Amino acid sequence: MRHAGGPFRIFVALFAAVIPLSIGALIAFLFYNAWPAIHFNGWRFLTESSWNLGNQYGDAVTVRGAEVMPGASFGILFLIVGTLASSLIALLLAVPIGLGAAVFLAEAVPARLRQPASMLVELLASVPSVVFGLWGYVVLIPFASKHVYPVLAKVLGFIPFFAPPTRDGYGLLTASIVLALMVVPLITANMREAIMTTPRALREAGLATGATRFEVMRHIVLPRLRLPLVGVSTLALGRALGETMAVLMVSGNAINILPHRIYSSISTMAAFMVSQLDSALQDPSGMAVNSITEIGLILLLISMLVNGVARLLVSRISTL
Amino acid sequence: MTMRVAKRRISKRGVVIAAAAMIAIAGPAFAATTNLVETGSSLLYPLFNLWVPAYTQSHPDVRINTASTGSGTGIAQSIEGIAQFGASDAYLSDMQMKKNPGMLNIPVAISSQMINYNVPGLNDKNLKLDGPVIAGMYDGQVRYWDDAQIKALNPGLPLPHKEIVPIHRADGSGDTFMFSQFLSFSDKAWQTKTGYGTSVSWPSVPSAIGATGNPGMVTAMKNSPYSIAYVGVSFKSETDKAGFGEALLKNRAGNFVKLDEKTVPAAAAAMVPKTPKDERISMIFAPGANSYPIINYEYVIVKNKQASPETAKVMRDFLTWAVSEKGGNSMSYLKQVNFLPLPASARALTMKQIAEIQ
Repeated sequence: MRHAGGPFRIFVALFAAVIPLSIGALIAFLFYNAWPAIHFNGWRFLTESSWNLGNQYGDAVTVRGAEVMPGASFGILFLIVGTLASSLIALLLAVPIGLGAAVFLAEAVPARLRQPASMLVELLASVPSVVFGLWGYVVLIPFASKHVYPVLAKVLGFIPFFAPPTRDGYGLLTASIVLALMVVPLITANMREAIMTTPRALREAGLATGATRFEVMRHIVLPRLRLPLVGVSTLALGRALGETMAVLMVSGNAINILPHRIYSSISTMAAFMVSQLDSALQDPSGMAVNSITEIGLILLLISMLVNGVARLLVSRISTL
Repeated sequence: MTMRVAKRRISKRGVVIAAAAMIAIAGPAFAATTNLVETGSSLLYPLFNLWVPAYTQSHPDVRINTASTGSGTGIAQSIEGIAQFGASDAYLSDMQMKKNPGMLNIPVAISSQMINYNVPGLNDKNLKLDGPVIAGMYDGQVRYWDDAQIKALNPGLPLPHKEIVPIHRADGSGDTFMFSQFLSFSDKAWQTKTGYGTSVSWPSVPSAIGATGNPGMVTAMKNSPYSIAYVGVSFKSETDKAGFGEALLKNRAGNFVKLDEKTVPAAAAAMVPKTPKDERISMIFAPGANSYPIINYEYVIVKNKQASPETAKVMRDFLTWAVSEKGGNSMSYLKQVNFLPLPASARALTMKQIAEIQ
């Protein structure tokens, strides 16, 4: 085969370069705009729950070399906690369901239904997140706050984190449930594929020893899936961490409060950026927008880290 | 083969000619149309949506695109020149004016705010509340509905021992601006600890909820018995439909007043004479025996220097219509959103400001 000619090669290389260049430009843009905030906030940004734009109608004061409104401080510990807590609880809920569904699809569904059923799962993965949010807002919140959470509080109330009051349904648990539903299809679709990669010979060998299909699944297929499962879960974590609209609609949008119960209002980094941008735009010192950009920078770095780890783990599925 | 190529060429040329002809025909019409952008306050948005279709029907050469994005966006985009009209419930601060001396704060109507509550059994009773008690609910000092301070204002009412759920806006909001200003002006402790703004650092109250937009406030209140919330008056039909209680508020003179068509104009009448030339003034907690304490001007934030004299003229014409008694300030529009027209003396100041748009 002949190699692609010079001009064509350059042409294609230019297109390919767009991707790394845009990521680089994005990070550079975030750094540039967040720099005044990084300098002003220091480590307090990550260790305090103190988001306060200051007195917007006062005169700007100079603090730590930066012009800010009097009383301004920007600490997002509560957002980091809210983001991690909601995503991790979502994973706790989603992984067993997703894995169970994958096993079911790969093993228990009759062959002629397998294709449509798998397609349905993949279809579910493409539902826009705002639709999940709307469902959470209209259906889940009233239902769970009246019928589910009070029961949960009664049964698990001896654990302080689950104790009443269960409040109105906006908060950590609802956000986690909505996030879990969003990532279940992701987990199911990927794990189903991983199960399918189990060599037929291994299964047949298992069955030949007299093991039931369940035992083959339990002792031969699933142990091979440990690493892919970690990878797929991390991928799901990445998706949950950055989810914005659905969380915005059901989280209760708490500011500067750490969740004491699983029913507490929370906010996440992504949702907070949307809900606070408008106020930040009014800050005449500009520090509020810089600080929101700093949230964006941190969210981007966390997501890249999580997704990078996930890709690394998932790519090893095929090498197993 | 050659035939086909020729045909294609002709048809291509035909398309070009047709397109050129279309541009030629539509050209003059396009040139005369002025496209304007309005964005900002979600409280003003319903009013703009009544104004714009009515105005553009009689002025087919004007197109105004409206959007409900929030006061902060309205201010920022009008300063940057992305939007010609920035709708805002709050006027620009001194510092914003210093940084952007060309900006005009043009009042177009008077709005007000209700304090609603959802306390089963008491929603038809009109609880009496004052600034310090409400401040206590929002900073965690007043935790239960049967608190001694609430009892003292409402003797004889069967107040339940239920935890108060204070609902505040999670997004930046002119309603938060008005509400926090009312608390600041009537409660010293609130002023020093929390202050006022379109978003404030809400004190940590475990039962508190943040809601997005006025519709979010109404929904959150519906879902949360024993809650209290502040809601812009344009949503009065929604709060009435939901059957929420509406508090009587203690005004500066010490009287408990209900938001109605007498108490809001009374407050406006007390504040209009004090309105400065640039019309940046808070009308919260106005003096006067019958004044409702939470009212404000709704502003359109406009740059005094526009891209072209033609654009400026179209903007002046629209705003002049919007604030005129026979035009946009007639009750046929304002009644639908429960706003009140500008009083005559304020209208005179507003007209002077409109004339500055060049």
